Amino acid sequence: MTLNDVKVGEACTVAHLNDSGEIRRRIMDMGITKGTEVSVTKVAPLGDPIDVTVRGYHLSLRRSDAANIEVVPA
Amino acid sequence: MTIALVGNPNSGKTTLFNQLTGNHQYVGNWPGVTVERKTGKLRAHSEVEVVDLPGIYSLSPYSNEEIIARDYLIQGEPDVIVDIVDASNLERNLYLTTQLMEFGVPVVVALNQMDIVRKRGYEIDSAALSKALALPVVEISALQGEGIDEVVAAAKVAARDGKAPQPARFSEDLEALIAHLEADLPKEVAPQLKRYYAIKYLERDEKVLAELGEIGDLEGHVRAVEARFDDKADAVISNERYNYIGGFIKNVQKKDEPAASMTSKIDRILLNRVLALPIFVVIIAAVYYISVSTVGGYATDWANDGVFGDGWYLDPVAIVNPDAGAQAAYDADAEPYDEAQEAIANYLDAAAEAGIETDAVAANFLAEPGDEVLEAMGEGFEANPESPEAQAALAAFESQAAKEGIVAEYTVINEEDLTETDYYVYAGAENEAKAQAAADARNAEIEAEGRTEAASTVVYNFDGEVASEEEEGEMVPQGIQVPAPREHEAYGIWIPGIPVLIGGALQAVGCAEWLYNLIMDGIVAGVGAVLGFVPQIMILFFLLAILERCGYMARVTFILDRMFRRFGLSGKTFIPMIIGTGCGVPGVMASRTIESESSRKLTVMTTTFMPCSAKLPIIALIATAVFGGVWWVAPLAYFMGIASIVVSGIILKKFKAFRGETTPYIMELPEYRLPRLSDLLRSMWERAWAFIKKAGTVILLATIVVWFMSGYGVYNGQFMWVGEELMDYSFLAYFGNAFAWVFAPLGFGNWQAASTVVTGLIAKENVIGTMAIVFGGGELPWASEFMQSLAVSSGALALVPVAAFAFMTFQLLCAPCFAAMGAIKREMGGINKWFWAAIGWECGWAYAIAFIIFQVGKLAVLGSFDFWTVIAIALIALILFGLFRPMPREEDKAASLETVGESA
Repeated sequence: MTLNDVKVGEACTVAHLNDSGEIRRRIMDMGITKGTEVSVTKVAPLGDPIDVTVRGYHLSLRRSDAANIEVVPA
Repeated sequence: MTIALVGNPNSGKTTLFNQLTGNHQYVGNWPGVTVERKTGKLRAHSEVEVVDLPGIYSLSPYSNEEIIARDYLIQGEPDVIVDIVDASNLERNLYLTTQLMEFGVPVVVALNQMDIVRKRGYEIDSAALSKALALPVVEISALQGEGIDEVVAAAKVAARDGKAPQPARFSEDLEALIAHLEADLPKEVAPQLKRYYAIKYLERDEKVLAELGEIGDLEGHVRAVEARFDDKADAVISNERYNYIGGFIKNVQKKDEPAASMTSKIDRILLNRVLALPIFVVIIAAVYYISVSTVGGYATDWANDGVFGDGWYLDPVAIVNPDAGAQAAYDADAEPYDEAQEAIANYLDAAAEAGIETDAVAANFLAEPGDEVLEAMGEGFEANPESPEAQAALAAFESQAAKEGIVAEYTVINEEDLTETDYYVYAGAENEAKAQAAADARNAEIEAEGRTEAASTVVYNFDGEVASEEEEGEMVPQGIQVPAPREHEAYGIWIPGIPVLIGGALQAVGCAEWLYNLIMDGIVAGVGAVLGFVPQIMILFFLLAILERCGYMARVTFILDRMFRRFGLSGKTFIPMIIGTGCGVPGVMASRTIESESSRKLTVMTTTFMPCSAKLPIIALIATAVFGGVWWVAPLAYFMGIASIVVSGIILKKFKAFRGETTPYIMELPEYRLPRLSDLLRSMWERAWAFIKKAGTVILLATIVVWFMSGYGVYNGQFMWVGEELMDYSFLAYFGNAFAWVFAPLGFGNWQAASTVVTGLIAKENVIGTMAIVFGGGELPWASEFMQSLAVSSGALALVPVAAFAFMTFQLLCAPCFAAMGAIKREMGGINKWFWAAIGWECGWAYAIAFIIFQVGKLAVLGSFDFWTVIAIALIALILFGLFRPMPREEDKAASLETVGESA
């Protein structure tokens, strides 16, 4: 299961970040690291990107990048 | 002593900078000078310099802003780093802190926004945080100005002690490997930076690798780390940093599950899946409606026609109801008088042409001080319409003109709605029928052309001695007997305009005529035309500052990302675009936050398609003067800007050089915040001041040059003052004519328009400034002369709106001013092929679009199909091909990336 599959309002824990180069580094800089709890709070009007809450703040990222973040339901 | 301010975006860094420096700052980030950072002097401590670095999340080398911050810190210039940490977002902010601790420079943590933390109902123990980080921590509120002195004191102590921070400790295994790496680093690396370089090496940081090269067994160490942690080394480091923070965060931050915050509640509406897009459109439309059409429009009218015009009434009535009050009362008296004066002047011209003596009448009834005709009357002459001599001259003139049956014909185009009025002026009752017949013939023509809405005729009696006649309820206008309006002061509290005051002062001191002309028609007209738009620009900058500061701008990128991605751009492209509506220089600079190199270049190339505030006057002129103030011209101008960016994006993305990787989009959606009024005003003023400064320097110089070139010229082989009558022989005309032909297929191939294209490159404000000089000789209103010139160059009066629109389009889309080109140069890394590609694309695109507009418009208006129409259709086809051709196959993606790398 990836972050892309998580429904709005549901939370999950990050299990693994698949390698996607620079973008992965960015995502980790922003606080999405192994073991972090992430919940999906919103979806943009056109279905993409999504808005997640991580470490107490709002971060938005694209679905294609979310699909590289493996998670387990919290 | 130097203090470096570092922190995440939205941590309140700029507010703290403003608090620290007060009014002693010298903002050097815009336009032109050092774009990297703001520098200021500490309030009341002028020996302390404060450097404001760009807001960053990390010191990785993936965005230009991060590289700028990093390079500055490595060079070891600052004596102390003040790290602004947003307490309401503690974990992520401390991530940057852990990196700042590795430069060997003392760090002071300024814990900002504690009030938000308390409001959300949890506590942060700053003493515990200070203990955990082994750094001084000061609670501040940048917004309220609390704790500022304490930060300064702590920074001074830390700088004096010069104690390097204790870097964040990672897990034992990793620390052991880092120790190995440090030992293997070359000797040149300063001891206090050893850990920093070791970690960067682990992360395979391109910049550091390039700097140090491949050394010894370092790569072996990195592989060992990756084997040990079963992950890429940079990911291991990120994880370890957050683990380090996680090790103490629970002791520092006592957090209860927060109730739905205000931000979430607002987002429920503003980011609602159905409402988000409509709300976005309404907000952006409101910003421009307020700043361009309504409030900004009134402000510009006041500034242009009042402060930089004849003058204005201090009149509260007119604000509520423009149709009442002193100005309206004055206009009611002045309009028939002005109309009558024009009729008299035209009639005298017609009579003079027929050989009738007109000087005495002109001198007594028409002349203004300084007119040649007064000199012709000889020394000591004073105009007095009441005098027996004047009346006798008038009677003689009238009887002669009546006997000759002179009827003057002339056309006036209304600048507001472009309607055309043909005047027929006669003298003597016996000629009325003749004039009426001419008018009737013209009316029949108008009817035949089907233009009864747009054209009409007026029959005018030169003198009102004949009893005025009622005709269909309208008084037949009469000439010489229309009384002049009273002095302005008689209608209300009148404040004379700046040109009137300066002109009066110059005449009072007996200024030389050429200098008077230079100052009034050159400098005051040119610079005044530019400064008149300052109120409008201030309103626009104020509203943009609200959007930037309150947190909505980031949401806009969230809403629009999906749309922009289709064009190979990211939602973040929107920020340079919207800042570019204020000024292209910060707009181009704002492209730095875009991570992907190819998208960033694309954004740099296209951002200036957005109409910046200096182009607003051009839009305003065309909208009001040519299109009668219809509401849709300004929105259409912005829409063309957006469409140009989008279409350029689609077309260019298919070229190899721009293909590259897809643009990432990872964006923090900050908490909504009520912006502080003083911050908004400061932001507005900084940007407006740059505009005013430009008016006082570059534009001032340009107007003097343009005035000289338009005033002097060569006529009949002689260098001379050519003035308004012979302006076609001026140097500016020679200059403009040299390439006016280029714009002939665009409908504005006359030297006046061509020369504004060139002066517009110096600064777009010059377009209007130059037009004010070449069309008006410095006197408003001059728009009708502009339209007449377009009627000639486009070939038909009916084509004036089309040619004017093509002119506006070209001016909006072509290469920006030199300042913005400078910004493009910097972002492209110098004057290289990328720079020329950007300028070439902008000019080519502008030319193509203006070409299509004029030719298609011509086809629609006149129905004429010619060679140029074919070219226009070919251009449309070419653009459509570029839009819809499939993305070329990615058979050599690696090669295309290489090309980008090489050229970059």
